[in-house]
Parts: sequence; structure tokens; C-alpha cells
Amino acid sequence: MATEHVSLTIDGRSVSVPAGASIWDAAARLGIHIPVLCHDPRLRPVGVCRLCVVDTGERTLAAACVRPCQDGMEVRTDSEEVEAHRRMLLELLLSEQPDRSAREETTGDDALYALARRYGIREILLPDGGEGTPRGRDASSPVIDVDHQACILCDRCVRGCDEIQHNDVITRTGKGYGTRIAFDLDVSMAESTCVSCGECVAVCPTGALTHKAVRGLRLEEGA
Amino acid sequence: MKRFADALSRAAAQPVRSRAVDTLCPYCGVGCAVTYVADTERNRILYARGRDGAANAGRLCVKGRYGFDYADHAQRLTHPLIRRESAYPKGQLSPLEKRPEKPGGPVDYDDLLPHFREASWDEALDLVAGRFKAIRDRDGGQALAGLGSAKGSNEEAYLFQKLVRAVFGSNNVDHCTRLCHASSVAALVEGIGSGAVTNIVRDIARADVAFLTGCNPTANHPVAATFMKEAAQAGTRLIVVNSRRPIIAEHAALYLPIRPGTDVALHNALLHVLIRDDLVDHAFIRERTEGFEQLAETVKAYPPERAARLCDVPAQDIERAARMIGDAHAVLFFWGMGISQHTHGTDNARGLISLAMITGNVGRPGTGLHPLRGQNNVQGASDAGLIPMFYPDYQPVDDEDVRRRFEQAWGVQLSPQPGLTVTEMIKAARSGKVRGMYILGENPFVSDPDVNKVREGLTNLEFLAVQDIFLTETAEFADVILPASSFMEKTGSYTNTDRRVQLGSPVLDLPGEARQDWELICEIGRRMGFAMEYGSVAQVFDEFAAATRAYATLSHTALGARGRWYPCADPEHSEGDPIVFQDSFPSGKARLVPARFQPAEEQPDADYPFVLSTGRVLEHWHTGTMTRRSRALDAISPEGFMEVHPGDARSLGLRDGDVATVRSRRGEVRIRARITDAVLPGTVFIPMHFREACANLLTDPRIDPDGKIPGFKFCAVSVQAERCDVGVVSAPHR
Repeated sequence: MATEHVSLTIDGRSVSVPAGASIWDAAARLGIHIPVLCHDPRLRPVGVCRLCVVDTGERTLAAACVRPCQDGMEVRTDSEEVEAHRRMLLELLLSEQPDRSAREETTGDDALYALARRYGIREILLPDGGEGTPRGRDASSPVIDVDHQACILCDRCVRGCDEIQHNDVITRTGKGYGTRIAFDLDVSMAESTCVSCGECVAVCPTGALTHKAVRGLRLEEGA
Repeated sequence: MKRFADALSRAAAQPVRSRAVDTLCPYCGVGCAVTYVADTERNRILYARGRDGAANAGRLCVKGRYGFDYADHAQRLTHPLIRRESAYPKGQLSPLEKRPEKPGGPVDYDDLLPHFREASWDEALDLVAGRFKAIRDRDGGQALAGLGSAKGSNEEAYLFQKLVRAVFGSNNVDHCTRLCHASSVAALVEGIGSGAVTNIVRDIARADVAFLTGCNPTANHPVAATFMKEAAQAGTRLIVVNSRRPIIAEHAALYLPIRPGTDVALHNALLHVLIRDDLVDHAFIRERTEGFEQLAETVKAYPPERAARLCDVPAQDIERAARMIGDAHAVLFFWGMGISQHTHGTDNARGLISLAMITGNVGRPGTGLHPLRGQNNVQGASDAGLIPMFYPDYQPVDDEDVRRRFEQAWGVQLSPQPGLTVTEMIKAARSGKVRGMYILGENPFVSDPDVNKVREGLTNLEFLAVQDIFLTETAEFADVILPASSFMEKTGSYTNTDRRVQLGSPVLDLPGEARQDWELICEIGRRMGFAMEYGSVAQVFDEFAAATRAYATLSHTALGARGRWYPCADPEHSEGDPIVFQDSFPSGKARLVPARFQPAEEQPDADYPFVLSTGRVLEHWHTGTMTRRSRALDAISPEGFMEVHPGDARSLGLRDGDVATVRSRRGEVRIRARITDAVLPGTVFIPMHFREACANLLTDPRIDPDGKIPGFKFCAVSVQAERCDVGVVSAPHR
């Protein structure tokens, strides 16, 4: 039985994808990289960061990573409204970030910083959400640094731990501004059942989870 | 207002020039593909990124992710070393009483180095070649033996066995497969004519039921375990059998905590129920197997009630397991050293082969036989002929046609007599039959059973050359130590548990004067008068591949960045065969070999009331030579321990963390107790990695008659609590 396909246009270009494919995946086929923080092709999409919103002509913007393509859909990934929306989300996220990102400083692959550069954000006009209410750090693991203040609650580490490695150690705890990731029943990483596979660091888009071994070293990868 | 300029420019950290190299993880048989990012100026690895390999899909475990820094450890050997005159007569160099201020850890260099002097490569290699030649010319090739390594590449393994066979003049060449899966290979070769796995690990996704016995994949094959857990979540039902509850049991549909050493009884009872209830595949039995009648006759005597008594699991659980296997469309059988490391290890594996065969569970997706191989290249080292009875590709040394072919290819006369295995070499060293040994990347003084006897053997050798990257416990007995290459510094191919042949690439430069292992093997051959000239590692691979059927179509170029499964008829267009034996076995029909239950020889008694099983922990590798020199792994798992059941701990007066003395008929160790109900009452568990609490002081050197593998998983010990609140002050190898 042949897979059913749906046809749509993204930024005016036609594409046909298997039914059920997300707009994000369809756009990737066209070489259009819709910005996203909470999604990674190795993970089940959850649509929590909302950076991948696109205009489908409906009343509200849709998160491309979870929204399935529909036949005849006309999608805009870069309309003014979409870009303004993303910019505001980025500013909100950045307003709570610590002054330094342990990921950007070392391996240089902080996805939030990369987007900040892409959107030309240099100053945050919003009040500093992190000031006076730091979410804290956890340096208990011999290999992994946890900076809760840099965490954007994208759930990538939770899914990396649960759905890639199946170790089921990381979860969320707390409410509102105090929400953060936690290990087991909210013990330190070292005391938890964490097996230090490092998958959480591998999937984390920010400076929240980083390798201790590279701390303080700015890696300049070349040949 | 907040500014991001500083952070965005990454100004705060110290700049480091780095280089990313696509290679493999050096540790286990899963064979994860990885990218290591190295600091090019300081010649050290900084961090690891998972690569989308066939076996790991980007996943890594703690060893691959954080265990790379052994390679740039300050204790790397950088000069050839020759034992000083004053260090003779030979013996162990570490003091028997360990100073209390230096508890634990690997060999203390301060104890060893004063007994060696640095030498030039020419002096060291001439000495090695000269002494081996003198022994060979005086006592014959049988007086020399070589222990190769499953940590080395296929090319190194091929050259090593060629050196021993063509230059030393005997088949006395073996490696640590003898200690891990020799019995599985013996049973598989006897049963189907091939020792490799039939289906890859990730095929578990297509299995209805997976039978996992005597294995602890979350610790020993951690990335493979992620695919097993994933399959369990997606609906594959796991039957887990073990005498020490593994973490994977949490994902099992059925867990059978069997009494140690009773696997044959369990397998026979499962076969009994399957045959009794006619849950067998008659067409498969008829067309693809022989010996069913005799098997059926033997297992008649094993109704589940009898096995329940022997194995100490409920009869209805055995019935249920048999029904799950019999009702399933596809069952995949995985096993580890809990099956193989017994004096009846071959019988254990025979039972698993029979289970798969009579239910027709071979040659299809989601079925098959998969002995989980331990070392990163234990499959390849075996394929390359690092085995005393086989040339490359399991061609028997006592087959005249085969021998003639190799004599022609190598241009020398070869010995028709199968050589000595690991444990037999040590015995022969004690008795004086073996006078000289070349040990490359092995550490028998920690890894072999009954190390007190190993000490006698190594002491008694007239000449021992050790080639390694660190001073190992075994190197204490060496006359010459050759500083060699770590995984991170070499090019070579490695064959994982899935039969996937993959290329490793150098990430670091060799430290000091250390040299490539393959060059050193060739140097020794050359200096003994046998030309071993190769322009590159790829050229060695070609010679090896040409001597085999399995690798014949492969080359370094054909392997590319992702490797290939063998057999691979057309490497240009295909990744190779993830499933083999769809239509027939190399031996034609599979031979079903019945086994009768026999209790292990050393049963617990009044003096030694506990059964000791040895094994491994997630963070450590083999004798800890590498992992105990990894900062991260050592920090997470710094010392040895003994697991004991809470009930036993109570009657022994042991609290968690107390020090206990464990004795067997062969030795004793002092070790911290860890109380857990993962082990069964009456059993204790000690990991093998820690020299200062060396499990192999206790183990029984008796071997399986077919696989010649020692029964590491069963010996009788006594346990005595010792009230002591200070750290473990141990006497290594006393």
C-alpha cells in the first residue's frame, strides 16, 4: 500500500510529503530551516518553545514542529508577524539568561545565542527576570554542570533521558518562575540514578547542561 | 537593560585550537561511532560527540562520552624499558603490604619504575627478538607463546597471530575471548558452523520476545541496552534470566532469578515444555536441524517441577517463559558471560541454540542468536585468528589443506598442532614448558582466574615481553616493556558484536617514543629473520581479508566512514547482512546437542558457604588499566565492593560500607560490603576491575572442557565481617 501524500506550499514553494509529516519536516525538505529550540530530529516533537511558529492563514500561528501538513495548506515561515513573534520570544528567553553561557563560551554552539545573533538582538529591553531570583546551579556531578538559570525548559534533556537513553532520570519540578528540571525525586544529579551518559548535554540547546571537561576553554575547531 | 555583546563574542574563555575526528569508542563490543574533539596543541581529547553509527545512532554511554582521557594520562609509557639486573630473580615488584597512605588505584609507578631502565628501541627490540629466537632454537616453537588483545585492531590481531605461527613456530596464541565467550563460540561452531551473531542488536525492535540471559546490558553494553529498553517500551516482551538482578529486569515482562550455575536445567525445562506442548516449528526442525530426537529424549527428564527445584524459580514461571517463546512469531536470544563463564558454559550455550532452533527462531527479522561480545574487537580478533586452534576465519590449524594454504601464503612451515589457550599457557609457564611469552595489551595478573597461580607462571618465565600503554600488573614480571599505541593514536578496523567492521582513526599523536603496535610486531618478526613488510595498515587488512571468506570483499576504502556488516557481497551498494543464515547454516543443518545438568564442581560447604560471582560495573573496563586512569570514571566509581544480600548481611553482622574479608580455597581479599537485594541469598558479587580487591584471587581456574573457559561465575567463598571504620587498606595479591 502506497503511503498517502499531501501537497502544500511553504513560502510559495510546492512540496509533497507523507501524510502526518510536520510542517517543520516539510520545510526541511525544501531546505528551509525553521528556527526551533525545543525540537531535534532525534526527539519526539513537543512544541513547547513556540519559536517554530508559522503562519498557516488561520486565526493563530501554529508550531511547525508539531503541526501536521494538510493538503492545500499555504504556509509562510517568514512573515513580519511570524518574525516579530519569534523576536519577542527570544527577548523573553534572553531576559532570564545568566550573563554567560557555559556552552557558547566553550563549544560555541548555544542555539539560543545563535538565534539572538540571527535576529540581531544585542540588548534586552525587558526587565531582567533572573535578577534576585537565581534558579541555581548543580555542580554535584563529576562530569556535567547544571545551570538552571540558563535552562529554557525546552524538555530536550527530559526526552533525551527518557526516550533516547531510557534512563528516566530527568523530569520537571516546581511551578511558575521556579519551574526547573530535576533529577529523580529532586535530589542532586550526583545522588540521583543518573548514569552520566551525557545525552542531556548532547541535546541541550543552551548553557544549562554542559561538559565540565571543557569549562573555561574556548574551542576553535579547525582542521 | 541587559547586554549580550560579551557573551556573544565568547570573550571570557581561554582559546584552544581543536580538531574533530570521526572514529569509534574504544571500549565495548557495541562499537559506537563517535567524534572526539581534541586539543591539537596539548594532544588531549576534550569532549565527545555521538556519531550516527549503525550500532548507536548518535548515542553514547559514560565510557564513550567521558572515558577518553586515559590516552593522555601522565603515566603513559614513552620509552622502551629493560629490567635492571638488580630486579632479578624475577617476581612481583609491588610490595605485598600496601602502604596505608596509598590505598587502591592502579599499579604504583614509584614501586616499579626504579626496577627498569630506559633503553633505545634498537636495544629493546634486539633483546626481545634475540631472546625469543634463542628459546625457539633451543626448545622449539612450543616453548613460546603469545597473548594478543581484543582491544587491538583486526590488523594487529592478524599480524600477531602470524608472528606467533610463522615466526615463533607454534599455535600458542590466544586472547581474552578465552575468558569471555570461548564456550559460546565452541557451541555455535559445533551447532551451526559459525561463531558470530546471526542478528544485530537493533533487530530486537522487530522481535516479539527477547530472551536475555546471563547478561547485564545496561552496565556492559549500555548503548545496546537503550535499544532493548526502547523495544520493551514499544511492545517487545523481555524475558530476563539472571542470578544477580540486572537493571534491564525493570523492563522485563518476566524475570527469572535463577540459582547460579543451573542454566542447563532451566534451558532443558523450557525445551521440555515447548516439546511437550507442541510449541515447536516442525518444518524448521525437519529441514534445518538434526539431532532433534535425541534432544527430545534428553529433556524428557526435565519437567518444570524438577527445574524449579534446581533453579529455585517457580515452575509456573518456567511454563510461562516457555509459552511466551513458543507463542511468539519472532524471538531473539541474547546472552552474556553469565552463560559462558561456567565450567559448563558450552552446555549453557547449546541449550540456547536448541531453544532457537526448535522454535524456528533463526534467519528471520527479530529472531536469532546473539552472544553479546565484550571487548570492542573481540569478534574481529577471533576472526583474525587470535585463537590457538584456528587460522583466520576459523580455519582449523589441524586441517592439512588449510595448513598448506597458509604455509604457501606465508612462505614457512607451520605447526599442525593446536596451541595452548590462555589458562593452559599459564599452566605451561608454571611447569616450564612455555619459557618465553609476548603479551600485548593483556593483563592476566588481574584478569585470569586464581592470580596467585598466574604469579607463579609469570615469575617462572625465562623471558617476558610486555607491550602496553601503561605499566600493568603483568608488566611487573616483564624483562622488556615496549611502549605502544592507544586506540586514540592508531588507524585500524574493529569488528563489533553485530559483525560490523568499522574504521578507527587517530585522534592524538603518539606520546614520547611510543610506537604503533603493528610496527612493533613486524619489527620483532623481522629481527627474528622473517620479513613482515607492509606499507600501511590498509595493506595489512588486505592480506587478512584475502585469507578469509567473511572479509574477502572488504577493504579500508570499502568500509568508508560507516563500516559494513560482514558478509557483504557488494560493499559498494550494500551495508552488508544484518541477518544471516536465512536459508542454511555454514554447516548445512544445525546440530542440536543435548546437555545434562551437572552442578558446578566447587559447591558451597560449611567452610565456604557462599557462591561468588564476578562481573563488571558500568564505569570500568576489564582490569581498569584505562578506566581507572580516566578522571571522570575513577571519580564516579573509585573502588571495588562486594554485593551481599540484606539477610546474609544481617547474619554476618555486616553493615553497608563495612569491610569484609572474603576467602576462597585460593586466596582472600578485603573489600567493602554493599548491601543489596539484587543478589540472591547465599551469593555475593565482586567486580573484576580492582587490583587491590582482586576478585581473581578467589576464582576457580577449572575450565569448561570444550570452550576452555574458566568458571568465573561460580566458586565457593566465606565472608567475614571486619569492624573497621578507616579506608580499605589492602594487600594486593597477597
